Amino acid sequence: MVDLARKNLLHDKLRFLITVSGVAFAVTLVFVQVGLFTGLLDNATITIEHLDADLWVTSKNTANIDFAQTFPETAVQRVRSVPGVLRADNLIVWFMTMALPTGAKEGTLVYALEDFGRWGLPWRVTAGNLQDLRRGRYFFLDESAKKRFGPFAVGDYRELIGRRLKIIGKSRDALSFSTTPVSFMDYRLAQELSPDELRGNTTYVLIKLQPEADVEKVRREVQRRVPYNDVFTRQEWADRSRRYWVESTGLGLNLAMTVFLGCLVGVVVVAQTLYTSTMEHLKEFGTVKAIGGSNRDIYKILVQQAAISAVVGYLLGGGMAWLLRPAMASIDLKLIISPAFAATVAVGTVVMCLASAMISFRKVAKIDPALVFRT
Amino acid sequence: MNVLEASDVTKEFKEGRETVAVLKGASLALERGEVVALEGPSGSGKTTFLSILGCILTPTGGRVVVDGETIDPRRPGRLPEIRKRSIGFVFQQFNLFPALTARENVEYALNVKGRQGREARREAEQALAAVGLADRLDFLPRDLSGGQKQRVAIARALAGGPPIVLADEPTANLDSQVGGQVLEMFRDLAKRENRALLIVTHDPKVRAIADRVLQIHDGRVAA
Repeated sequence: MVDLARKNLLHDKLRFLITVSGVAFAVTLVFVQVGLFTGLLDNATITIEHLDADLWVTSKNTANIDFAQTFPETAVQRVRSVPGVLRADNLIVWFMTMALPTGAKEGTLVYALEDFGRWGLPWRVTAGNLQDLRRGRYFFLDESAKKRFGPFAVGDYRELIGRRLKIIGKSRDALSFSTTPVSFMDYRLAQELSPDELRGNTTYVLIKLQPEADVEKVRREVQRRVPYNDVFTRQEWADRSRRYWVESTGLGLNLAMTVFLGCLVGVVVVAQTLYTSTMEHLKEFGTVKAIGGSNRDIYKILVQQAAISAVVGYLLGGGMAWLLRPAMASIDLKLIISPAFAATVAVGTVVMCLASAMISFRKVAKIDPALVFRT
Repeated sequence: MNVLEASDVTKEFKEGRETVAVLKGASLALERGEVVALEGPSGSGKTTFLSILGCILTPTGGRVVVDGETIDPRRPGRLPEIRKRSIGFVFQQFNLFPALTARENVEYALNVKGRQGREARREAEQALAAVGLADRLDFLPRDLSGGQKQRVAIARALAGGPPIVLADEPTANLDSQVGGQVLEMFRDLAKRENRALLIVTHDPKVRAIADRVLQIHDGRVAA
């Protein structure tokens, strides 16, 4: 079968370039915007995902892991006695102010546990020994802090809430949604640094279940014993933390608007070029009808042209987004493009281009075949 | 036996609140192997008549029978099928697809008529060889002369074996000598392949190759 659709499309190379550029622009925009946002959301829950806890006890209505609220640390005792609980520990997540060598002050998000190794936090240690955290006024600092805090090394001292602490180790990939650098210190030291809020208090209780335990059953029992707290599974807690950033901050709406506008630009560009192309090829479509072709034959041509534009534009746009990943990484931004997301964008691109072709359908349906006789 | 027959065909168009009658009872009959010229001044209705005979337009009144099938104006969806099966067109402006080579132009028309693959390709090559373009198969229309383009258009019209070929001013865009050659070839092919050929024209050269010449005036046909 002679591929009239493809040949017509490629015959005018400049027009084709404009069409696929419009699609590629929209695809890149969607990939970058959603990919960066996904990356930020991934940061928002990265500690939840890596901590080896099946259930989380939080204070009532805590919105996300970064915005922790205190409750009495004795709750952990009630949790530990629930059948099916293998172990339970207090976790403090708390913002503290750090004085930098420059004299500036920055916030750090402190994670404090009695035994970090037991909960797999931090999951990538690049320097130091976590066991040493118990032995004095020490802390670990994530390498990502370099951008905000400037260069630092193991053995350096920093002032946290007016107390001088020594950096004894580094981690990697422990991030927060707000890009506030993450630190790790002993549970008792954190309480000592911020006694007004934290003495006798914790912000979370982490629960590891026995292998055969029924998660729902244990959760119900824990909830019964700590009725003034919330109890979440790991997935629920991660979803809740993500949802906060998406829904409560307007970032989700912002993202949706950007994606919508990106798609709109793509639709307009593709629709306009396809429509102009259709208008310029009207006599050819009339000829197709004159030689026996139906509207359906012409629709097929338009659909095929839209699909080719979609595929080429998608590959170009996807390629550009992929190439941007290292540049984003160099400024500590994660551009996450999952296979499922890539597939969704691919389907969306084809739908977008086919929708654009619909405008041309209307024109083609009304072609008077007698126009082939006009000069 | 007539392969194309039109009796008392009328065609009216609405222009604002007015109804304009373009055809007022035009009649015509063509047999296989017959070459007929249809002449008439501008505005006489010849292109409208050609469109109705070619199943591009439906008549307001009268009867049209194409290759044994009576056209039913209430079923316009049937027209593409009749065009596909029974009618080949040659246009004044050639109307070739600029992105397709000579061979592909003919092959595409065959594809539309249902022929696919090697069969269509071979038939396209044979049709182009018959019009003397065997050495121009892979040329795009922009690389062909006017006469060559019209020969591709003739090959396209004849490909697939439609019993009726309708031509609208086929020599209008050709110089006199080339126009004469194209007409001779067109006539020979139609005769050899037993097609009915109707040529709408102003060109006096067509008279020389036609078996009959009809005149259309004010929407009516006279011998």
